Amino acid sequence: MARASRLDSRFDTALFAACLFLAIVVHGLPDRLREPLARGMRQTVLVPLVALQHNAGLSRAAWLSHESIARAEDSVSLQGMRNLALESENERLRRVLGLGGKLRWGFVPAEALHSGAVGDDYTLTLSAGATSGVRPFSPVVAPDGLVGMVQTVDPRMSIAIIWTHPDFRVSARAADRSAFGIVQAHQGSGSDRYLLELRGVPVRNQIRKGTLIVSSGLGGVYPEGIPIGTIVDTLRSDGYARKYLLRPSVMPSDVLSVMVLQPQRAAGGVEPVWATTVAAADSVARAAAAADSMAAARAAGAPGRPIVAEQSAVPTAGVPNATAPNATAPNAAPPGSAAAGAVIVNPDSAAAAARARALRRARRDSLHADSLRRAPRDSTPRARADSVHRAPSDSARRDTARPAPPSPTRR
Amino acid sequence: MTWRSLRAVFAFVILVVLHYTLRPVLEWRTSIDFLLIALLLASVRMRPGAAAVLGFAMGLVADSLSVGAFGATLAMTVVGFSASWLRAVVFAENLVLHAAFFFAGKWLFDIIFLLVERRVKGLDLVFQLLIWSPLTAIVTALAGLLALIVMRPMLDARTG
Repeated sequence: MARASRLDSRFDTALFAACLFLAIVVHGLPDRLREPLARGMRQTVLVPLVALQHNAGLSRAAWLSHESIARAEDSVSLQGMRNLALESENERLRRVLGLGGKLRWGFVPAEALHSGAVGDDYTLTLSAGATSGVRPFSPVVAPDGLVGMVQTVDPRMSIAIIWTHPDFRVSARAADRSAFGIVQAHQGSGSDRYLLELRGVPVRNQIRKGTLIVSSGLGGVYPEGIPIGTIVDTLRSDGYARKYLLRPSVMPSDVLSVMVLQPQRAAGGVEPVWATTVAAADSVARAAAAADSMAAARAAGAPGRPIVAEQSAVPTAGVPNATAPNATAPNAAPPGSAAAGAVIVNPDSAAAAARARALRRARRDSLHADSLRRAPRDSTPRARADSVHRAPSDSARRDTARPAPPSPTRR
Repeated sequence: MTWRSLRAVFAFVILVVLHYTLRPVLEWRTSIDFLLIALLLASVRMRPGAAAVLGFAMGLVADSLSVGAFGATLAMTVVGFSASWLRAVVFAENLVLHAAFFFAGKWLFDIIFLLVERRVKGLDLVFQLLIWSPLTAIVTALAGLLALIVMRPMLDARTG
């Protein structure tokens, strides 16, 4: 037994010695002999292991390339988002530049800084002050329309109230001059807070939905023709006056760059600056009214019978229609076109007009809903009677006059 | 060949395959040497002479699949024989002892390999032998323990 063990031990030692010798020999082989030996093994018995190693290398390379691709995709997405922001900013600045080009003189450009305080949606801090020519009670406008009025002025900055202020008033009229009234903040609860009201419209004057309301120029603070908002609904009338709900032309949250009109510029009139906007809004309102009346006529007429719509001479761009505020069936077609004059409308075209009307209504509703959605939920109205003087009564139809300068409201 | 031997061979093949699939994917600085774990686990079940032959064969395979001077052949021959001889001298079925066994085997392999290859010299060799090799040996020992636990049914090792 012991002898066998000793034999085994000697055999193991001999095997180890042999292996060690061979390992040393293999290690000592010159490259020209060693490499063919290794290649021969790789091409024969080690083929499966070579394949495994190769596939593992490919997997790792694919994983790494996937990571780099993901990084590149992330970079592209980030760049895309930045591009969108830049595009938006570029568009905004272009619009401000366009407004400046139209105003030409008598304005001060300013950056509008929103107050960080929760619920303080009534004021804007402007980056321009008295040294730039800003004066108290100067109108503050944006490319889309009226923003508010400068309240207090420091040498290098100023504070303006915006139309959401409870005491904000502006004398206004319909773009077609069919009605006059006073616009003020709606003071509704929740998101309705970000709407405006047109008050003091005589009962005899009815304004269609979609009609643009602009400043009337009465009162001397706001020059005539600045867009304020668009009629979206009719409110309950009180006595002999009608009230309308307006979707504002300018949402406070969108105001980043503004123009402050200097007194001499405001006195000089700015009506041509927004003439295109007013004319376009007027055309849209008239087209909508025409579609409405055609659909109503179709509904009243016999099925299959042609419907005749009366044509009234309605200007479609730029010229306010003071003579026909309550035209029953204005034509949407531009003057001089084949549709001008009496036209025969078959049921198919009436249906198309109804569809177009439905589309426009859906768009208006969407815009309305959008304005409601963007408004914050905080609805606590905070009267600042101490900061701004009270406006005259609605019946006076005059915007904020110029009493003694109000006290500052900065905190 | 008994069923027990077949299971051991199966575990050995798994470890070799892992060495050529998982290791290239991980590509850690202190990589796991599954080949050495396989050699150590096989050597303790063989006679020293057979372990030396196995180490020689595995070293030859490793050297053929890498660029070098066939230093692994010599190192694995020594490690295989030593592991089997040590196992015959010191018998223990303990996880900590197994971990120490894997650690020592891997470190011994690295020492022989680096000295024989003579590619790393001077201060780099010292750093490699005293820092990176022990770290690699630790990682390999942990992986060896994990393999031992996972493959216990196949290896029939009484750990405790």
